Amino acid sequence: MSAQDTGRAPGSAGLAPTAIRDVLFEAPGPRTRRLMRACTVVGVILVAALVAVVLRQFYLKGQFSPRYWLFFTRSTTWAFLANGFVGTLKVAAASGILSLVLGLVLMLGRTCGVRVVEVLSRVVIDFFRGVPSLLLIYFFFLVVPQYGIKLQSFWMITLPVGLAASGVLAEVFRAGVNAVPQGQVDAALSLGMSRGKIMAKILLPQAIRFVIPTLVSQLVVVVKDTTLAYVVSYPDLMQDARVLINNYTALVSVYLVVAVIYVVLNYLINKLAAFIAARSGVTLVTRAGETSL
Amino acid sequence: MTPETIEQTPVIELRHVDKHFGDLHVLKDVSLAVHAGEVVVVVGPSGSGKSTLCRTINRLEPIDGGQILIEGTPLPQEGRALAAMRAEIGMVFQSFNLFAHRTILDNVTMGPVEVLGVPRKEAERDALELLGRVGVREQAAKVPAQLSGGQQQRVAIARALAMHPKVMLFDEPTSALDPEMINEVLEVMVGLAQGGMTMVVVTHEMGFARRVGHRVVFMADGQILEEGTPEAFFTHPQTERARDFIDSIQGH
Repeated sequence: MSAQDTGRAPGSAGLAPTAIRDVLFEAPGPRTRRLMRACTVVGVILVAALVAVVLRQFYLKGQFSPRYWLFFTRSTTWAFLANGFVGTLKVAAASGILSLVLGLVLMLGRTCGVRVVEVLSRVVIDFFRGVPSLLLIYFFFLVVPQYGIKLQSFWMITLPVGLAASGVLAEVFRAGVNAVPQGQVDAALSLGMSRGKIMAKILLPQAIRFVIPTLVSQLVVVVKDTTLAYVVSYPDLMQDARVLINNYTALVSVYLVVAVIYVVLNYLINKLAAFIAARSGVTLVTRAGETSL
Repeated sequence: MTPETIEQTPVIELRHVDKHFGDLHVLKDVSLAVHAGEVVVVVGPSGSGKSTLCRTINRLEPIDGGQILIEGTPLPQEGRALAAMRAEIGMVFQSFNLFAHRTILDNVTMGPVEVLGVPRKEAERDALELLGRVGVREQAAKVPAQLSGGQQQRVAIARALAMHPKVMLFDEPTSALDPEMINEVLEVMVGLAQGGMTMVVVTHEMGFARRVGHRVVFMADGQILEEGTPEAFFTHPQTERARDFIDSIQGH
């Protein structure tokens, strides 16, 4: 471009990553700090009060009575929950992989340059993005078998959850590719690289690094979507929890325990993502410099 | 200084090239020939179309009218033929555009390995030699973000040279550099020019133009207003626009 200004590219690499907070807000002054402290104290008190009210209600309703909690001391209970947990992991992993692969394919289709393929990919993406997972599950559960296709319950939950996520992931990948500075493509073109090579060697490797955090939040959504497995009676953690609830008529205690398990699982997924991102992310400085042009 | 190759087919020839960005007419009937071994320096105020001119030569910017010939052959419009032609034209950008996710060595071997099918071992040997020539051989294992701007630009030059191009395009190669890094890049470019490389250089570096430029092309408002030897152009500009421009870049 002719009107490029002298946007200064980064000189040397000071690699200290900047937190979003530091970018969006200036450092608080003394008055703001006092205000922040006051708000923190009020906030903590409010949250504590809310927790106290909830606990009191549970207590009044007898939710702490041993019959709701004692069965958690039996190893069979945990073996049962572990079984469900493994089921959840299996479905989550399978739909996660399915959605990653299909999302990538859809993104490539949407940006391939062939008009028909682009429109088709776009329709598919918008369809899977727009339709609720539950509806897709009912489709595989109720409609598909009518056409004589016998699916195991594992696939009746894995396919719809994976398909639903693939539409979103296609758009995430596309955003990542768009985030790679145009200069990278210019340079690759000037070397005589083909479109396919540029996508495979230059765009995708960088795009994936940019979108790792988003990919992970999407994986968390997939994990949460797997709880719909009860619809098709696949024994995931949620389904097993419901069995326990029916056996012991213990609603609150079981849901609390299972909720904690889900939180821990998703927390670990986030940790894993941070680990991967830290290992692969050295490119941010150059990128910031180039996009400022 | 005029090369004695004047009767030969020019390496690059632009014939009546027109280019619009929407309503903006960025290149107006531009004609220019660059002969083998020639160093043509393109100068002009910001927005004059000089970068666009540079980018049309390997079709990073398509043109709306006129013709571009590379060694007498029209520049292909698309596909493998265009890619093959681009592989023979080296380009260096204002913002370096090194592949941010690959090492310096990979940046230089990428073209030969992926485009020309050179075996990796051979490409790496060549790359290290080139990196040595531009003085950043020790940095081969680092990633671009770990290098200074001047080092990155020298790597970018090595990356382009690794393709053994018949002509090198430089699009404001020192405009994004801190002052103390400009010379290290210019030195590499001077070395190239003295080695007989055909070059089109968009730059404001008058010292460079005077030392190795055979011809200065002055652009304003999408047109070539003046052409001449660096000495003639910088000391006796013919047009008002050129006089203003020279004053403005000498002003500081």
